[in-house]
Amino acid sequence: MIEATTLTKRYGAKTAVDGVSFAVRPGLVTGFLGPNGAGKSTTMRMIVGLDRPTSGRVTVNGMPYAEHRSPLHEVGALLEAKAVHTGRSARNHLRALAATHGIPRRRVDEVIDLTGLHSVAGRRVGGFSLGMGQRLGIAAALLGDPATLILDEPVNGLDPEGVLWVRGFVRQFAAEGRTVLLSSHLMSEMALTADHIIVIGKGRVIADAPVGDIVGSTKTFVRVRSPRIDEIARRLGQPDVEVTSTAADTIEVRGVTAEVIGDAALQLGVALHELTEITGSLEDAYMDLTRDEVEYRTTVGASAASGASAGPSAPSAASASTEGALR
Amino acid sequence: MTATVTGPAVARLSHQPLPEARLSFGGVLKSEWIKLTTVRSTVWAYAIIVLIQLGMGAVIVLSQPAEYLAQSTPADVAIMSASLGVMLNQLVISVLGVLVITGEYGTGQIRSSLTAVPRRLPVLWAKAIVFAVASFVVGLVAVLAAFALNAVLLQSRGVSVTLFDAEVWPHLVGAAGYLALVGLIAFFLGALIRHTAGGIAAAMGLLLVVPSVLGFISAEWVTVLGQWLPMSVGQNLFFPADVFQPWQAILVMLGWIAVVAVPAAILLKRRDA
Repeated sequence: MIEATTLTKRYGAKTAVDGVSFAVRPGLVTGFLGPNGAGKSTTMRMIVGLDRPTSGRVTVNGMPYAEHRSPLHEVGALLEAKAVHTGRSARNHLRALAATHGIPRRRVDEVIDLTGLHSVAGRRVGGFSLGMGQRLGIAAALLGDPATLILDEPVNGLDPEGVLWVRGFVRQFAAEGRTVLLSSHLMSEMALTADHIIVIGKGRVIADAPVGDIVGSTKTFVRVRSPRIDEIARRLGQPDVEVTSTAADTIEVRGVTAEVIGDAALQLGVALHELTEITGSLEDAYMDLTRDEVEYRTTVGASAASGASAGPSAPSAASASTEGALR
Repeated sequence: MTATVTGPAVARLSHQPLPEARLSFGGVLKSEWIKLTTVRSTVWAYAIIVLIQLGMGAVIVLSQPAEYLAQSTPADVAIMSASLGVMLNQLVISVLGVLVITGEYGTGQIRSSLTAVPRRLPVLWAKAIVFAVASFVVGLVAVLAAFALNAVLLQSRGVSVTLFDAEVWPHLVGAAGYLALVGLIAFFLGALIRHTAGGIAAAMGLLLVVPSVLGFISAEWVTVLGQWLPMSVGQNLFFPADVFQPWQAILVMLGWIAVVAVPAAILLKRRDA
């Protein structure tokens, strides 16, 4: 269990994390999402005490991380690939970390095997690829057999097999009743791995809800294709139903279910060539949520630029969202 | 990388409980020992220290004119020749002292170290202790080896020296002690500055630049100030000098260390890593 209470971090005039409160519960994989610069990494660094909060506090299983008698047994953290002296071998790096807690040599060998580093464990870390650096970071996080795992972009640079493996062990971890906090930019990966999502933008919590609720919040619509599409469109035309024509024989309908449309077509005696319910993805939901919160926006052409300069996010938009409530 | 990484194990983690794993200062000492001995810079620096100590001693013994050897006491000749390498080695040990800590900042290792030991200060103290003890032992080996080589060379020039002289051995131990102490000043400068180049520049400035700048100013109080600089104080330990008693010299060196170590410790506690 990780609990943050009005956690704030300012660097000079810039506020990286702005009064964030959330709880990461055991038994679930909690995904931590947000645009670059939103404050994810800073928040994770504050959890393990690498950054000192300007105000507010964050605890792991009831107390600040630094006050635990066996910190590595409490939290395993991967915060950046290759937080390792480049001149030291992977095995010696793990041995040095293990020694602080009196963790036995066999556990060092075990995490090396577990992360598939066996053949390179004796090499100096300076020559490691990004993927191998990630594996070493995960090995270090697992050393103390921790009750809580904090992984910042763990699949970054991993091969598909590695991605699958991370997903598997993270889910296993949560299934054993442990706490997992995971950040990633890969929405499809997050949708497969996480149970609960916390979205952060410009240092504030935008959304904090189960993955299903987040995805459910995006607009779903029904695509209808028919040779006599105009008749169906006319029949559906009501104030709370939105009908958009996308082709000569195709419309997209928001506000009614596929069943209602199918029944309407039957009553009209009109043939349907397609009737598809299209649900939003986590990616769509994320894009909706963070549209106003993106710190570093890629602008293409003048129109996009003017859209971007439409102003910083309205504070009301960010503060309106509270735990479990979605815009 | 040419090696292929074997496929990762299946998700199942072994759950044989780990034996009582607790963070302890003894564990942090052991960790710092592993860290110090598993990078090449340490091995290189210590090897260079032994070679310089041997080489400079041999050169001085072979090059001294016979009149000097005749005028000086054998004890003084033995001390001078065995300790001379310290003048150069204080720079080598200072570079190593800075690297031991700034190497962690430069590579990001410090964040792994401080995550494992989140109270932070044990890392600083353990590192200082391990580095100082290792440097003292290596320094002592280097000085004794230089003494032994010089004794043989001096014998061939008709001077016989002995280690078991109340004048000689304390100075040799003093030479090793000075290396450890001056290395600690550099180490804490590195901890304060957190950058290799900056740390080395600060250490070299204190050891080389400040004394020579003061040398240009002819005033009584500047001369006295110069006697309190680390390099001058150290000469009371390893050369036959008499400004400070050895115990006074050690206290002044410890004072220098404290002046740098206290702000380094406070900032390590306060700053983001």
